[in-house]
Amino acid sequence: MGASERTHRLFHHDWKIATNAVRATFAAWQDRLVAAILLLMAVAGLRNGFADLPWLTALWAGVAVSLGVGMAAGRLVLARLAFHAFDGLLAADALHLPLRRRYIAAWHGIGIVMLSGITLIVRPSLLIVSVPAYLVGALMAGLTDAVAMPLRILNATRPNWSVRAWLRHPRAGAAAAIILLLVLLQARTLGLNAALAYAGVGTVVLTLALTHVDQSAVRFMTIAGYGSGRIVLRLSRALVSFVAVAAPGCWLILGAAPAGIVAAASALMFGLMAMRVLAYRLHGKRFADVLVLVLAGLLLLVGYAIPVALPVVALAVFWHLQRRAAAKTWLLV
Amino acid sequence: MNPAVLLAEAAVDRNGQRVVQDVDLTVTRGSWFGVIGANGSGKTSLLRALAGRLPFAAGSCLVEDEDLSADRAGRAQRFGFSPPADALPEALRARDVLELVGGDLDAVRARLGALQAALGLAPLLDRWIGDCSAGMRQRIAIAAAFAGGHALVILDEPFNWLDPVAMFDLRETLRGMVDNGLTLVTALHDLATLATACDAGLMLADGRVAMTLDEDMLQAAARDPRAFERRTIDLLRS
Repeated sequence: MGASERTHRLFHHDWKIATNAVRATFAAWQDRLVAAILLLMAVAGLRNGFADLPWLTALWAGVAVSLGVGMAAGRLVLARLAFHAFDGLLAADALHLPLRRRYIAAWHGIGIVMLSGITLIVRPSLLIVSVPAYLVGALMAGLTDAVAMPLRILNATRPNWSVRAWLRHPRAGAAAAIILLLVLLQARTLGLNAALAYAGVGTVVLTLALTHVDQSAVRFMTIAGYGSGRIVLRLSRALVSFVAVAAPGCWLILGAAPAGIVAAASALMFGLMAMRVLAYRLHGKRFADVLVLVLAGLLLLVGYAIPVALPVVALAVFWHLQRRAAAKTWLLV
Repeated sequence: MNPAVLLAEAAVDRNGQRVVQDVDLTVTRGSWFGVIGANGSGKTSLLRALAGRLPFAAGSCLVEDEDLSADRAGRAQRFGFSPPADALPEALRARDVLELVGGDLDAVRARLGALQAALGLAPLLDRWIGDCSAGMRQRIAIAAAFAGGHALVILDEPFNWLDPVAMFDLRETLRGMVDNGLTLVTALHDLATLATACDAGLMLADGRVAMTLDEDMLQAAARDPRAFERRTIDLLRS
């Protein structure tokens, strides 16, 4: 088979997998209905959020979101190409430069069309920045991937695995809490607003490291008979010890409001971790990550646009995921 | 006759560590070359590098007289290769996999010939790979290596997960295909297959060649498989 006959083979391969996976995920009409409602709410929330923003703020928000989407899409496409070249059926295509370029262009073409469609619905005037920002993001993903390649050599001794294992231990949570409290000791001279910001951002950054979820470990625990709750509890030991030390410590240093921020941000990260666990029980890593991204974005939008609806929507999302994830325990599939 | 594959002082790195080094091997056209070795001895890395799935870190690689040492895409194009069965996409059917690799299904089936029956492929064609057992996935992965009609094929431990009948049928069919001109390179754990079906081979230990097996040695092994097994096991233990 010559290069001309292979032009779009790689893209067709992944397109077929994606469409089949979406069909299988939304096989029941209830799933399709929930997905349609979530999609409509997400678009409505975005439109509502962007419509009220001043032009300049909306412009920068549009640039940031499109840049992020472009980077995420770029990384996803490059990771997929790396898989094809190493473990895939069509390695020859994935290693052939012109075919690689066509594959990348095809997926980013779809990304740009989708982003343009959403921009036109949300705030059409942002189209002048959303597409260029998306392209810059995709380009940055390519550049960082080229830099990251030699760094992989450092993985020979797997230091990242040891660090991740340590970060799941309650001691890591306590250590992270002490780091946060030391930062907040410095921040208390800056006023209440700054202290609140430090408490919130510091908690999110530190708990991001403490709530890492390994898809293969979740999959193994699922087939070994662990239910979702048991997996979430096991993975949240570091987070629990963090809150147990950080929230009272913050109360003593700065008062009730920053302590409340620490507790609320920790609860948010707990929810995100639980969502990832449920998604990993149901799907492969890539699809689960996209699903979590979409659902987390939706919840943020609902929380911003219609705060009173957030508990109901969050419960619906978790109930839907848990209902399907519960059936996976012990299943070797 | 010029060899189909000629490796000289080949080395392969994985995750910054050298896992294969100083490997010399010659694969004659129309022959079955077997690679044996303990777990972690470098068999898979060597075959993956040969098939373009990994770069060679050092040494030279000539495929049908063309130097492809630095051309991963060229090697990937030149060899049929069975991907790991567990890496096959679950959301595709066997039919989709074969069509993607080899084009029109009728043409693929014509290329597979007797291998279709040996692999029991017909009932698998419309199954989702996600619904297939490990053995079924292995059959589809082996068929994918031949779907493109390559004259050079690499299979990494093709008999894993197959039932005894399928193992026997596959070995006989592959031997027939080699007799008709196919050049086949396989990693194996089964010493009986190496002794009775392969024309030449080598044993890897800690990424280096521990023993080279020529046609005479394998013919002697086929005559006295127990002695060959004892000698090989002793070498692997050491």
